[in-house]
Amino acid sequence: MRRTALAAAVFLATFVALAFLALPVCSIFLRVSPGRLAAQLGNPVVADALVVSLKTTVVAQALILLLGTPAAYMLASRRFRGRSLLVTLVELPLVLPPAVAGIGLLAAFGRSGLLHTSIPFTELAVVLAVAFVASPLYVRAAIAAFEGVDANVVAASRTLGAGPVRTFFRVVLPLARGGLVAGAALAFARGLGEFGATIMFAGSLRGVTETLPLAVYSQFNVDFDVALAVSALLVLVSAALLVTLKWLPSASTLRFRFVTSS
Amino acid sequence: MTLLPALAVFAAASLTNVLPQIDAKQHYSFGGSNLLAAQIQQGAPADVFASANTAIPQKLYDAGLVEKPVVFTRNALILIVPKSNPAHIHSAYDLTHDGVKLVVAAPGVPVGDYTRTVLHNLGLDAALSNVVSNENDVREVLAKVALGEADAGFVYTTDARTVRGKVATIGIRWSAQPIVEYAVAVVASGQHRAAARAFVAKLLQVAAQKKLQAAGFLRVR
Amino acid sequence: MASLRVDFTLPLRDFELTLALDVARTVALVGPSGAGKTSALRVVAGLARPSRGRVELGGETWLDTERGIDLRPEERRVGLVFQEYALFPHMSVRANVAYGGRERVDELLERFHIAHLANARPERLSGGERQRVALARALARDPAVLLLDEPLSALDAHTKTQVRGELSELLRGLELPTLLVTHDYEDAAALADEVGVVVDGQLRQLAAPAELVASPRDTFVAAFTGANLLHGTARDGGAGLTEVRLPDGARLFSTDPGDGEVGVVVYPWEISVSRTHADDSALNVVHGEIGSLVEVGNRVRVRIGPVTAEITVSSAARLELERGGVAYATFKATGTRLVAL
Repeated sequence: MRRTALAAAVFLATFVALAFLALPVCSIFLRVSPGRLAAQLGNPVVADALVVSLKTTVVAQALILLLGTPAAYMLASRRFRGRSLLVTLVELPLVLPPAVAGIGLLAAFGRSGLLHTSIPFTELAVVLAVAFVASPLYVRAAIAAFEGVDANVVAASRTLGAGPVRTFFRVVLPLARGGLVAGAALAFARGLGEFGATIMFAGSLRGVTETLPLAVYSQFNVDFDVALAVSALLVLVSAALLVTLKWLPSASTLRFRFVTSS
Repeated sequence: MTLLPALAVFAAASLTNVLPQIDAKQHYSFGGSNLLAAQIQQGAPADVFASANTAIPQKLYDAGLVEKPVVFTRNALILIVPKSNPAHIHSAYDLTHDGVKLVVAAPGVPVGDYTRTVLHNLGLDAALSNVVSNENDVREVLAKVALGEADAGFVYTTDARTVRGKVATIGIRWSAQPIVEYAVAVVASGQHRAAARAFVAKLLQVAAQKKLQAAGFLRVR
Repeated sequence: MASLRVDFTLPLRDFELTLALDVARTVALVGPSGAGKTSALRVVAGLARPSRGRVELGGETWLDTERGIDLRPEERRVGLVFQEYALFPHMSVRANVAYGGRERVDELLERFHIAHLANARPERLSGGERQRVALARALARDPAVLLLDEPLSALDAHTKTQVRGELSELLRGLELPTLLVTHDYEDAAALADEVGVVVDGQLRQLAAPAELVASPRDTFVAAFTGANLLHGTARDGGAGLTEVRLPDGARLFSTDPGDGEVGVVVYPWEISVSRTHADDSALNVVHGEIGSLVEVGNRVRVRIGPVTAEITVSSAARLELERGGVAYATFKATGTRLVAL
């Protein structure tokens, strides 16, 4: 009797948890019909926000990949004093409230900040804010991916005449690819949804710095329908990212498990 | 006398400092008046709504969400620049110079609409092309200028006084000022309507009015 | 043919590995796991840097800590076969072999009988096939030195015997200085011309396999080559013999000199087993209960009291040996060696 009660409790908890996660997302689509959603896409506010979001997130993502990959590789492949401190530093933006990140960016790059730049209120500011909050997601995943590459296989490549660079591109990168792609997708999704740091560091100006999340906020108290439409758009983009992420590994031929004994 | 419950008061951001001085017991939620109104429309549990204009409460009243609004104070706009005045702004007319970083509130936020009215009255619609950010309430505008990140911004005179020392002010002549009237209303769905009405009445009394004027708000005509 | 000279000290976690040897043909380093043997290979390959040392091949200096020379792994012409083969899992067999050098790929695939696997991925190969791919890959680089890390350990017992023979033939045919590492003495003896016993970071003895058996320098070497090892107290026994008293009171005789605490070394295949006490020239007799009977190939290892003898299966059957029974183990004084403890 007790076992069925326990099973029922577990089932109930699962149902509640799943419903809780699914409900807000489904509700967005239940309140705006596909027709209205499509119509709102023609709304210049939405179109402008989409362009700003895509431009800034793509540029930020490129920055993250270009700078984050070698950094992650170095952190993964070498053991040196202060390494764990550096890793903690890299992970810090993850646990920082985005508003705090925004304040930090102002304090560093603001006109009255440490570096006296004129970056605030520009598209570059959005790129920096997005890169700042999203990069730890990629770097952390990349470190794990690189650490998962068999050190002996890397050493084998060196003994076979390949220098560090050739080894990285021909052996390390292909073997770490799965984890890198997953990390990049996560970072992209996070960057797309970034709000707090952006609004503080870049402000919000339509067509320049108003990203999709900022548009949701600004439209919320102007035209709730537009806010809903933008939200739906963000959900669709994020869902598409997630699905692609899941589909990639099974579709690629790079699925291999290294079995050490027959 | 029975212990009155603490009310949930949704009030315009410019009232952040003065309302708790008038009645420290209540629970305040400050923000852009339009955002607060939207929240009330979505069913937020407010008891009282104090807006930086009359249009927004009127809209809520027309929708049956609040009782009849009443004007309780007035304000005026002022142009502020950081203390260091990096863009050398000495009058509103300097706002049209190239490269000036002007921060204003978004349209729909009362002070944002007032700002656009002022600029229009001064014949300075062109200055809007120098806007680098549309903020969501007046305190965000204030912060950006006080931090030195923006070259100039439009806030209420009452806001400028809260950061004395960090900003320099440039007055706007009366003939260009819009009519800035703050209205307060009891939220119809509130649980403590009697207490809410008492709060509204208190705002209109001499003691509260003196505190408002001490903070720089203007007398109701 | 150039020979490889190594002489270095490498600090490891618990001790230092100090090695100095010339590798002209095939040398096997044997020793218990954790003795640092694999590290020796890594030093030669350039994957580990010793605190001091030299690695030279013929006239080429690959490492000289005094002169500040330290060639990177890709600059040294080594072929290193890892214990778990470390094949590139994302490449086909052909691509793996071609990684070190494209010219001889087909020839090597043929030679190692893996041409039919050219397009397969490593995960689908058997242990023996993987080893062949690893060897082919290492040789594709046309190395000047061959380094093998536990080449037979990852194979099951059946494949091992067959591969051992093939590998031995291959090494003889290649005529490359080869340094291999193994924890199994028998593998070392089969593959190498010289065997070095490394224990706790020290090279205890470097000699041909037969020499190690005949004249083990100390107890480690003796135990490693599969000998029985007993402890006792020695003193002059007259007539050119040394008498050794064992803790249980038994007395053994040896033609080796010895005095005080000694180790007594007897090889299993030099011990005769009988059910009755034979009166023959063998001076040493151990009488005891048969503790275990283990068949190893076509031989049987019989544990009688403290010693293990190795006899043929047919002999064991003829004697009707069984566990719990009693038997005599006899061995000559000339086959009883004494080593320092």
